[in-house]
Amino acid sequence: MLEDRSVIDSAATLSAPGAAGVPQAPFEALLELVLDGAFAVALRYTRNRTDAEDLVQEAALLACRGFHTFTPGSNFRAWFHRILTNCFYSKYRKERRQGAELDLEETSELYLYEETAALGLHSQTRDPAAQVMDKLTGELIEEAIGSLSDDYRVVATLYFLEEFSYQEIAEVVGVPVGTVRSRLHRARHMLQKALWVIAKDRGIVSEMIGITDQGE
Amino acid sequence: MGLPDRLTCEEAFERLDDYLDRELTADQMRLVHEHLEICAVCASEYRFESGIIAGVREKLRRVAVPEGLRARISALLKDQAN
Repeated sequence: MLEDRSVIDSAATLSAPGAAGVPQAPFEALLELVLDGAFAVALRYTRNRTDAEDLVQEAALLACRGFHTFTPGSNFRAWFHRILTNCFYSKYRKERRQGAELDLEETSELYLYEETAALGLHSQTRDPAAQVMDKLTGELIEEAIGSLSDDYRVVATLYFLEEFSYQEIAEVVGVPVGTVRSRLHRARHMLQKALWVIAKDRGIVSEMIGITDQGE
Repeated sequence: MGLPDRLTCEEAFERLDDYLDRELTADQMRLVHEHLEICAVCASEYRFESGIIAGVREKLRRVAVPEGLRARISALLKDQAN
């Protein structure tokens, strides 16, 4: 079952080993709370179902062996994702990007905003972001995230899927918060460009512009 | 150096990403918020960026872990315990 992250975090924190007045929860019970999210993240990290399954399985075993190092009362979800992410970087990382070869290096901030404004979308509708998102399928968004290189894809996945804070992402990835901030901001800008380029290739951009807000 | 009374568009823009993620101090959040209340252009940029982030989050598939994997992990953990 897919559960809300705040519920998972509080359950995992309250039942952490040694928390005052609370009996120690077995590792397997804590793992169960984060397993769906971990698999979803692993799928985006590896972009491959078989590798994602292997990655989660290996991370679960490593976490079980290292459970005695888990700090009672701290965030089990972040702790487990740190193990998963370390494992990805050490064994499953592939330098080559997958999917469309996109040039995302020269990406301005507000990329989508500027592109859609230049095409006149902002004068057609009160909510241009909704108009854009309405036309972008989940599959297209997956492809755009998949086109990011590893370091950017990892922070984007932790941010969009698990909704971790900058501090949590820093702990999971093992880099300073400042690095997370700059990497994540850049990842978001690159993602916008990737979305736009892929949407253009599929002829979706013209669909966006051709439709006006019916509520106006 | 103390906080300014209000932000210019450029200063608000520099803080926009952090504001979207609520990663500014309370004082900085307030300053950006006040700027967005009086500047239609920056407010429009903020609404757009916020809408894209929310839209991406909403459309990303929530994938449940395959039952086969769950069973394999459970068996491996039991082996570990023995």
